[in-house]
Amino acid sequence: MATAEALRPDEILKQLAAHWLDLGEPDGDGDALLRACSMTLTCFADDEEDASTLNAMLASLMREHPSRLIVVRLKDGEDELSARVSAQCWKPFGHQQQICCEYVEVTASINRLADAASIVAPLAAPDLPRVTLLRSSRIVRAGALRKVLPLGDKIIVDSRRTGAPGFGELGGLLDAGHITGDLAWTRLTPIRALLAQLLEKRQARMITIEYGGREAGPEARYLQAWLQTALPDANVTLRGNAGAERGCLFGVRVDDDLYMRLCRGGAEYEIGSMKQRASMPPGTEEQLLNEELGFVVHDRAFERALNHITA
Amino acid sequence: MADSPLHDPLRFHRKTPPCAVVIFGANGDLTKRKLMPALYRLAYEGRLAPGFAVIGISRTAMSDDDFRSRMKESVSKFLEDSPFDEDLWRSFAQSLFYLAGDVGDPASYQRIAATLQKTEKDRETAGNVLFYLSTQPSQYAEIAEGLGRAGLAKGQGWRRIIIEKPFGHDLASARELDVRIHAHFEEEQVYRIDHYLGKETVQNIMAFRFGNGIFEPLWNRRYIDHVQITAAESIGVEGRGAYYQEAGALRDMIQNHLLQVMATIAMEPSATFSSDAVRDERSKLLRSVHIMTQQEVEENAVAGQFGPGRVGGQQVAGFRMENGVNPESVTPTYAAATFLVDNWRWADVPFYIRTGKYMPKRVSEIAIHFRSAPLSVFHNTDSPGASAPNLLILRIQPEEGISLKFVSKRPGAGMMLRPVSMDFNYGASFGERSPSAYETLLLDAIVGDATLYTRQDMVEASWRAVQPILDVWATKNFTFPNYAAGTWGPAEADAMLARRGHTWRRP
Repeated sequence: MATAEALRPDEILKQLAAHWLDLGEPDGDGDALLRACSMTLTCFADDEEDASTLNAMLASLMREHPSRLIVVRLKDGEDELSARVSAQCWKPFGHQQQICCEYVEVTASINRLADAASIVAPLAAPDLPRVTLLRSSRIVRAGALRKVLPLGDKIIVDSRRTGAPGFGELGGLLDAGHITGDLAWTRLTPIRALLAQLLEKRQARMITIEYGGREAGPEARYLQAWLQTALPDANVTLRGNAGAERGCLFGVRVDDDLYMRLCRGGAEYEIGSMKQRASMPPGTEEQLLNEELGFVVHDRAFERALNHITA
Repeated sequence: MADSPLHDPLRFHRKTPPCAVVIFGANGDLTKRKLMPALYRLAYEGRLAPGFAVIGISRTAMSDDDFRSRMKESVSKFLEDSPFDEDLWRSFAQSLFYLAGDVGDPASYQRIAATLQKTEKDRETAGNVLFYLSTQPSQYAEIAEGLGRAGLAKGQGWRRIIIEKPFGHDLASARELDVRIHAHFEEEQVYRIDHYLGKETVQNIMAFRFGNGIFEPLWNRRYIDHVQITAAESIGVEGRGAYYQEAGALRDMIQNHLLQVMATIAMEPSATFSSDAVRDERSKLLRSVHIMTQQEVEENAVAGQFGPGRVGGQQVAGFRMENGVNPESVTPTYAAATFLVDNWRWADVPFYIRTGKYMPKRVSEIAIHFRSAPLSVFHNTDSPGASAPNLLILRIQPEEGISLKFVSKRPGAGMMLRPVSMDFNYGASFGERSPSAYETLLLDAIVGDATLYTRQDMVEASWRAVQPILDVWATKNFTFPNYAAGTWGPAEADAMLARRGHTWRRP
């Protein structure tokens, strides 16, 4: 159910309304279709990214965060700006609940980014939060981050992705007062929650964060910064292991008597005489985004950690 | 963890303290179907503290490993909307222990004390203990006394005791139970569980009423004509005939679950969302329920019992033919009552409550019937729906959600009106998994939040409200069965509403 080439925002909104009318066409009992909307989610992605995989991931977010979804696909080359609109309801495989999603896709060459932004801005659902998900390395390479900042009340990046903004740029966003989220930080939530429980009644002195490879990934650096800012009297260090999977966190050692081993899908540690396991399914991008979309406010713990890294 | 510099209130769940959960009746249905799956699910979500243990108690002799193996079978069978993780189970199972014992034998409590001491050391449970009484109600007082005499009601950490309903079988027995429990436990240690209050939608009633400003001005006798609360079950007594025969619909559903729902609908806003502030308001409402005279009971309460009928395309037997049921039983499997609330907000607004077994479908909902518009501007138009009053439906199960019915103009020439429904479905709008009532309530008890638990004054107030009905029914010669399985109950229930010019809504 898609229509091409609608570039006036009011025309796009009209088409969206028409799609909902089609979907809500009485089918005998005369019940109208109603949907909830909790925010506008605008995703900037590079055109090379597989559209069906990306759209499926974004659509799955609608289960927890029913949103107006706008995807801006950016490409190099010719002067291009186009849009299409769709709305659909479906039941994901294995689920009982029907998901309804309204979707606007804008395709633009990077040199038309400002034009694309001028189309996207009025499409936001009124009175509701706007979140921008930045997956496009083109925007970062073009140094055009500031052009998309006004479109969202919160901007989410993933430092783990190639071409993501660096810590310096993220620090700049914080300095300018933008609400910022980083999925590399979000990945740490279950680990941080468990560490917070395990360390609650301890006076930890030496904490070593072990990671794979020679260079610490963003998660390891965030974890170090978080522990160091929360426990200023402790000495928190990073230790790489060239033999282990590159960039991967695989353990946290606290003094000589607590070792938390991070393994696939969980964490193992000993408490008393018993070995314990906590379930930590590897966070998919959908799960991480579900967490991150849950609040559009300043995340003070994240901001302290990021400031510590960039200081 | 609120004071811990590592705490992150934005992202972390509420802090759960370490503790041991001691379950009496560990080999029973409730433990297998609800409690253990709920505890496992809490472990899966990382909601339990690392220092955690479960000690199961029942009469059956079995080893820790036998108990773990039975619980594994139950959890994998009854876990809803969740994957079963073998690795996690292996770790979780290490925290399960079992003791065979008779609750009437003082030596059992000495063994419990010794096991608790050991788990406190081995599992670092910090001396915190939650006792869960999932036994026959007749054993509640005996267990509380046994725990008290063995010195287990107090300890280094906190001690709490969860009691399943029914809390007594009438006002006098509820008071007696309370006295025996309070001889050893303080009121703030006692958690009386009413799993209805743990349901997400019942909690949502509070969010709906007190999180939105637009409904409160309408929430009174001036705008609300009457309220209907329905809890219909499409099944019979499912092998619980012997228990049910002693309880009946009024005791089983109305005295506890449905009066609590009514209190949530009708209570005043609390000043804060603290446990006692919310419960004070619920209690105040229950204490304002008009106590019926004998004559009023005759007019405002209806008992029913199902006879043979067809449900879901199948012929089913009547209640008196169920296993374990007296063939001449006069136990009501259906009860309906009209309650009035003696306060300024609700004076003369009837709250109709009904519940029954073998109704045409399983549905629990609250219907708020608003008064009709004061002047029917459209009465001359050819619109049968023009005068339909507004209706707000709060659905508890099966499709949790809220519907608002209002009148709209049909498109086209002329002024044809018809009622339409604006429907908000929690499931379709928020796909996030809702925790089961037992997950919510167990976690609340572990963190010491009693907001969703009933207090003794609430229990007594709701017994006071139904006691006149029980007294009248105890002396009455019912002609049962008086409704066929698969129907909406006896005709007298329709007549009860008709006396006030109302009809039951068909859910």
